[in-house]
Amino acid sequence: MEMLRNIARRKLRSVLTISGIVIGILALTTMGAIAENFNALLDGGVKFYSSNILVGPPDGQSASLLPTSKIDEIKQVHGVAAAFPGYQFPAKPGAVSVVSFGLPDEILAGDPAENDWGQLKLTTSAGHYLTGAAGEVVLGDTIDKEFHKKVGDTIELPVRPSDAKPDFVNHTFTVAGILNVTRTAPDTFAYINIADGQMLLKDSLPIAIRSQIDTSQITEAIDVYGARGTSISQLDALADRINAQVTGVKAIRPSVIVNSFKSGGAIFTAITTAAALLALIIGGLSVVNTMFMAVAERVREIGLKKAVGATTRNIMGEFLLEATFIGALGGVIGYGLGVLITVIANGTTPPGQSTLFLITIRLTALSLGFAIALGAVAGILPAWRAATLDPVTALRNE
Amino acid sequence: MVAIRLEELCKYYKRGSEIIRALDGVTLDIDRGEFVAVVGRSGSGKTTMLDLIGLLLRPTSGRLIIDDVDTAKLSDADRAHMRALKVGFVFQEYNLLPGLNVLENVMLPLRYVKKTDDGRAHALELLERVDLTDRIKHRPSELSGGQQQRVAIARSMINRPSLILLDEPTGAVDTETAEQLVALLKRLNREDQVTIIVVTHDLDLAAHASRQIRLKDGKVLADERVGAVPVA
Repeated sequence: MEMLRNIARRKLRSVLTISGIVIGILALTTMGAIAENFNALLDGGVKFYSSNILVGPPDGQSASLLPTSKIDEIKQVHGVAAAFPGYQFPAKPGAVSVVSFGLPDEILAGDPAENDWGQLKLTTSAGHYLTGAAGEVVLGDTIDKEFHKKVGDTIELPVRPSDAKPDFVNHTFTVAGILNVTRTAPDTFAYINIADGQMLLKDSLPIAIRSQIDTSQITEAIDVYGARGTSISQLDALADRINAQVTGVKAIRPSVIVNSFKSGGAIFTAITTAAALLALIIGGLSVVNTMFMAVAERVREIGLKKAVGATTRNIMGEFLLEATFIGALGGVIGYGLGVLITVIANGTTPPGQSTLFLITIRLTALSLGFAIALGAVAGILPAWRAATLDPVTALRNE
Repeated sequence: MVAIRLEELCKYYKRGSEIIRALDGVTLDIDRGEFVAVVGRSGSGKTTMLDLIGLLLRPTSGRLIIDDVDTAKLSDADRAHMRALKVGFVFQEYNLLPGLNVLENVMLPLRYVKKTDDGRAHALELLERVDLTDRIKHRPSELSGGQQQRVAIARSMINRPSLILLDEPTGAVDTETAEQLVALLKRLNREDQVTIIVVTHDLDLAAHASRQIRLKDGKVLADERVGAVPVA
């Protein structure tokens, strides 16, 4: 109670000090929420690519096409437990890409059985996952919101551009399921079956060669899995064996892709750290200054408390508590404002665009914990100065 | 019964190359329940002696024994604990905390001791004794000088100390208020058998003490009992 009165005694100064922490923690929360959002995106990539090997055409081949016979060859390599063809197409061809922290809408064609192999398991919030039947599509959460579809509705894919040429072809798919939010790539993906993927591949070929190519014998990429529980270093070794034993393909070591994701995440972690440092400088110095002024103003009070029995520890504790409270109060307000801003910003994001902010328990703990620690650390020096004042001098201070 | 014993107690300060002998080899006993006035000119060592007895200062040499405890052997925390339990302070400038009301000011020393009895009830009882029951919610700034000093006296009594030290308690109040304060101190001394040591320039106040110790240049110039012998 006395602590609150002491803070309220110098209202303007206290408000300014707390404002400094509010600004710092607000910056930490919002910047951290962007970083968390981006890290969630990257974590999905890390999860996906740390469980399989991506096999594509060899270096120097311009078209990303492989004969499906390579799947059987790859399956012969020791350590390969499963291999699946994969196709990927833009869901909105010709769309102008805008600056976005999310991934563009894509159509992915693959074997439904592949979902049982990867670490990133796709689950549905409505309907069911692909069954292998032709003409069905499972929509990611973001792309579903963009097109306002529910299970049983139909959707034309790829989406016809407004300036589409007369020969543009798309197909009607029935929505079989809608995926749960993953906060990573699948949110903007539409999943279809292999046969439908091969149909879209055919549509994408130049008219001149379209009729000459049997797309059922072609894949764009092959996803290779080792036995369940295979480590990433073992997958690297498996990729090396594929490259050594199978001609006309290039298996990329999973660690190369995973590391590239992680280095991307490191940049955003650096942004969070920078925001935290900003909070430290702005908020911390203002708390130090305020607490030193409080000590200077309360010298006689400190002397009196010592005279009536307060120990060095008592005085230190009282001032530290006050500084910590200032930090905590600024932290709660700053964090609250930060959450409010991120909720409003996410809520006003147009459907189909990935949201920018993600508040996590880790970020909440970091923001509030940092504010409290900041107050406590900033209070140490002033509190020590107060606690070690000579009571005789303090009592007779003018 | 001896409550406080000073043996060759010295307190020296260094000012540049000069040594200031604020208290210079004082030896005396103060019995439990005595009302002692320490008088002398400014710089005679009165306040230094009060601060030493109140354990706010450590002596340069000599011994200070309070209730058979040699205070030289106490740690800072033990000295603080002893101050809280055995010593009450009253200062010329009252030193009430402006952010606390009257009752909270009186109860302040309770924060630093572990006591099981009801401190609030005792604080209210003390405020009744100093005739401030109707002011318990007031802030110090809303009280007169005399009222503030009575709050300070009540505060000094809250832990039921055996010793109250007063530094010029009437220095900032008018004559009538000073007389009321003296009467109050005498009553506390008589009713609670509390040892009172008051440092003062006020000869009227000193005249009410049972013993007057006159200091000069850090030494005891005179030590005479002028009133009734202590009650215990």
